[in-house]
Amino acid sequence: MSANQELILETNGLTKRLGGKPVVNAVNLKISRGDIYGFLGPNGAGKTTTIRMLLGLAKPTSGTIRVFGKDIRKERLAILRKVGSLVEYPSYYGHLTATENLEAVRRLLGVPRSRIDEVLSIVRLTKEAKRPVKGFSLGMKQRLGIATALLGNPELLILDEPTNGLDPAGIQEIRELIKSLPQSSGVTILISSHLLSEVEQMATQVGIISKGSLIYQDGIQQLREQAKGRIRLGVSDPESAWKLLLSCGLPADWDHGKLSLTRTDNRTVAEAVARLVEHSHLVYRVEEETASLESIFLEMTGSEGSL
Amino acid sequence: MIGRVLSSEFLKIRKKLLWLLVVAGPLGVVALQAVNFGLRYDYLMKQYAADPWGGLIENVSILALPALLIGLAIVASMAAGIEHQMNAWKMTLALPVTKRHVFAGKFLLTAFLLLCSCVLLVLFTVALGFALGFGSSLPVGELLSAVFYPYLAAMPFIALQSWLSVTMANQAIPLTVGIVGMIVSTFAGSRFPDWVPYTWPQLNNEWGEPLYSVAMGVGTGIVVFLLGMAEFVRKDVK
Repeated sequence: MSANQELILETNGLTKRLGGKPVVNAVNLKISRGDIYGFLGPNGAGKTTTIRMLLGLAKPTSGTIRVFGKDIRKERLAILRKVGSLVEYPSYYGHLTATENLEAVRRLLGVPRSRIDEVLSIVRLTKEAKRPVKGFSLGMKQRLGIATALLGNPELLILDEPTNGLDPAGIQEIRELIKSLPQSSGVTILISSHLLSEVEQMATQVGIISKGSLIYQDGIQQLREQAKGRIRLGVSDPESAWKLLLSCGLPADWDHGKLSLTRTDNRTVAEAVARLVEHSHLVYRVEEETASLESIFLEMTGSEGSL
Repeated sequence: MIGRVLSSEFLKIRKKLLWLLVVAGPLGVVALQAVNFGLRYDYLMKQYAADPWGGLIENVSILALPALLIGLAIVASMAAGIEHQMNAWKMTLALPVTKRHVFAGKFLLTAFLLLCSCVLLVLFTVALGFALGFGSSLPVGELLSAVFYPYLAAMPFIALQSWLSVTMANQAIPLTVGIVGMIVSTFAGSRFPDWVPYTWPQLNNEWGEPLYSVAMGVGTGIVVFLLGMAEFVRKDVK
């Protein structure tokens, strides 16, 4: 949010080369305490590779990572003690029950046993706790993964595509769960996704990565402002109408198909329509077209990512 | 810390076939000897008239050696397979544990399970001996060294199999290495010079002192273990 807030996570020129090709290229992430940071990018943009480096699972080719102000190379264990994570599809031991899965992790974390019941109730798996996890649905496994991430009372939660492969109801459930977390436990969240629509309802900050480079990083509000609309005009002769509007000093735009106004205030629209009618243009339609965040996102990342 | 890692490891192998294997290995070896002695009782008793216990121990260890060498490959593979199956490495290693401890945990788990098998082999052998009516002149030292010396001399292979199984997602490779190792070791006899590790579990060396083989095995085992650990720590997690 504001710049003077404490940075929980900061990367500087973070780069990872695989076979000479930069998969992550000079990425500077900045995440403040209390943020829900949406880390976006098409598949293969370098999200998961970045997250693996943040967790110390992969080593950066160059650049630094500081979490809680500590260098990950020097104080990996101290950092990971306060970080909970879920990387891509959930990891679990299928032959064990939900409780036993959490117990296997709890023994490594050394937190009190009562914490298992707490996290199970947070993700609403208390009733299924005694069932082997291999019988769980994907949504339940994903919830168990989030429970595992929460087990150590983390200050920073890193969730890599937590809704991947879930049905709309499952996505909704995970989203509600994540939205409720910062209020209830004061945790900072980094959540990655290839769908903007998925994080726009919960994120406070957004970082967009494409082909390994971070191309946008700011508040979700700033991104929304870019999504302001335009007015489309359906007229009988768009080309001459366009020339007319321009000659009247109105911000018109014609792309050899659609005629549109790039300012949307009432005055501009009223004046444009009046001028058109004055000059005997037939006005069929005056409609507002709002660019969705999704289309801005696609524009930024290039369309090949979504194909 | 390593205590926590091990306690987590033991929880993970609950309800796994791994435990069955730990019992089935030594049980199978002794059961085959039970058949052997049952069918040829008179012949074998004539042959081992002076020392029936020694004869039984000798026969048991002939079968136990290949069982140990193949068993260690399978146990190491199953111990590591728990993580490979569900891609759990990334979860385990994103927890506040060092990669060294995680690697050591898998090795110690494998070594401990094989040790359990060896203890069971001793118990089953004693039971068979008594059942065959060999009496109470049990040569304890001879029996223990016949079981535990090969185990210690096979330490390089436990370390190697644990290393390969942990670092390779495809378990066909470590298992192939293990099976070939068992065959080579079984037929090694005196065909290879003493420095070849595959001869050590048989405890034959030109000084006629089994403890040399044991010492070489434990020493080399530690070296292989440390090499594997260094590679595991260096590598990125899949």
